Amino acid sequence: MSEPRSRLVRRVTTRGAAVVTATILWLGACAGEGEAGREADEPAQFALLTSGPVSDAGWYAGGYEGLLLLRDSIGAQVSHQQTRTPAEFDEAFRAYGNSGYDIVFAHGFEYQDAAIRAGDLFPDMYVVVSSGGRVADNVVPVTFTLEQASYLAGIAAAGMTRTGLVGMVGGVAIPPALGTFRAFEAGVASVRPDVRVLETFIGSWDDVSAAKEAAVAQLRQGADVLVHNTDAASFGVFQAVREATTAGDSAWVIGMNGNQNDVAPEVTLGSADLRLPAAFLEVAELWQAGELGGRPVYSGMEKGTVDYVPNPAVLDRYPPELLARIDEARRTILSGALNVPRVPYVEDEIGVQDGTGG
Amino acid sequence: MSELLAPFFEASVRLGVPLALAALGETITERSGVINIGLEGSIIAGAFAGALGALAWGAPGGAIAGLMAGGVAAAVFAFFALGLGADQIITGTAVTIGGLGLTAAAYETRFGPTGTALSLPTLDPLPVPLLAELPLLGRALFAQPVTAYAAYLLAPVLWWYLQRTAWGLELRAVGEEPCAAEAAGVAVVRTRVFATLFGGAMGGLAGVHLSLAHTATFAEGMSAGRGFIALAVVVLGRWNPLGVVAAALLFGAASALQFSLQALGLNLPYQLFLALPYLLALLALAGWVGRTRAPAALGQPWPAGR
Repeated sequence: MSEPRSRLVRRVTTRGAAVVTATILWLGACAGEGEAGREADEPAQFALLTSGPVSDAGWYAGGYEGLLLLRDSIGAQVSHQQTRTPAEFDEAFRAYGNSGYDIVFAHGFEYQDAAIRAGDLFPDMYVVVSSGGRVADNVVPVTFTLEQASYLAGIAAAGMTRTGLVGMVGGVAIPPALGTFRAFEAGVASVRPDVRVLETFIGSWDDVSAAKEAAVAQLRQGADVLVHNTDAASFGVFQAVREATTAGDSAWVIGMNGNQNDVAPEVTLGSADLRLPAAFLEVAELWQAGELGGRPVYSGMEKGTVDYVPNPAVLDRYPPELLARIDEARRTILSGALNVPRVPYVEDEIGVQDGTGG
Repeated sequence: MSELLAPFFEASVRLGVPLALAALGETITERSGVINIGLEGSIIAGAFAGALGALAWGAPGGAIAGLMAGGVAAAVFAFFALGLGADQIITGTAVTIGGLGLTAAAYETRFGPTGTALSLPTLDPLPVPLLAELPLLGRALFAQPVTAYAAYLLAPVLWWYLQRTAWGLELRAVGEEPCAAEAAGVAVVRTRVFATLFGGAMGGLAGVHLSLAHTATFAEGMSAGRGFIALAVVVLGRWNPLGVVAAALLFGAASALQFSLQALGLNLPYQLFLALPYLLALLALAGWVGRTRAPAALGQPWPAGR
């Protein structure tokens, strides 16, 4: 958007037809006024959109916790909607835009196109797209470099596998998810280039049964450390590993998109943790400072947003040299000496993908 | 070879059983002239009530709770579609959406908004003595949870009911020629209501299989479209309970095959594998089911012209 910030433009659209029926222009008072032109004592209004249930103990749950943190820490008025289809994405953006919301956190790659349309319609509303790729003055992708944590998870997997075969169960092969798998593979290869890595996508983020059968098929091939990148479907991967362990096989599972060490503590090696609440707070603080917009926000290991967290309940099962190796790789990543591979998806993001595996 | 194939057959049955249960129920519903696409709502209701029931009374109690919850979802459908004569497709869609939404809301109320993997009491596999020892297919067919045996037993029983009993004849008459059936003294609406409730209860049992026999947890939306696949399985099985179970197992086998193929690490786009069950269904529909037809009064309101 090229309009100056002080001039607020609101376009009211009719439901469904997406026709601009009225354009109301008015001039904001002065530059000293708050970003959204509201009174100082009015609470900020933040909304969260998810395209799956927030009860997944992972990706969506973290987003929801982020929203609650904003409510509790800066006293924002918050709202959450689950939107399943692209048509619902647009409707939800319009509903929040018409209600004068300040920021809509659209929690997922899938929202990026609808976010651009919404940003166009509501210039005084910010749309923050988690793992988004498209940028505008008021559309901000937040890129969590979860690849860094996934790389460390790969090191852990390579250090623990006895069969020399590990597996990855994914939902849908969108670039942010693929990136975590490429990084996991690189982490594995940095320790043991001879370890093979299996990859299965189930085509859904919350089909628990499908995820379980995909995991069972990998375990049957001989994989003994599985990582996932799904949402609620991940419960199926945990269950498959739990059953395999009960049946006497040694197997581990690694969580992703949050700290999932408690989901199945006895068989969980660790988690590629994503601390979404901290990242959401960072975005809100940028907004308060008037610095949000026009460029992506990167939030990774440097800011403490992502990390590999070994499961404390099984810490004694890690060989000490493996823990040392994970710590060393973490330091190398933080020092900037190691670019973890990722699948680029942010506009104008070039050259980030050529990581070197250890 | 047998070490490779036996686990594949086991996975086929595990994936096919929920489809078989839901599709068997829907077969009876459709033979009475009612198409209940709210089956998905019954499945998710059954999965959730099964989870709650299992936590309260153990796995068998959960199975009964799930069965009843599936029936309740179908009762809502029956009230509007059969009692008030509302359009069956629209009513079924509403029951599906309502079922997914209500179970989600209830789950978040009961277990907290950000969710947790439940460790439910499970319906464990019950190996049948001797039969489970058979080579190749023994464990696949006869070391399964009780839900699988329900599907095996119900298929011939329902076939016998439909084709060999007076009640079955009445049900089919209601689905083909409700006017003639009524003239012969059959209570059309009552027959359809019972057929719909039975279908819903079977959908509930399919949900119980998902949450209690397969994954030992509940997750919002875990039915993942199986109600709609079951509708296709009914057509693929030509509205015949025996054919329907065979079609469900074929679908299960195709799903199991694609997971096995992906796990082999073949360097092909995974979407091809995911499409496999549906391609198979299309082929089967084109080549095999083409010569059959649906019950003549399927989806039509009664009394006609209301």
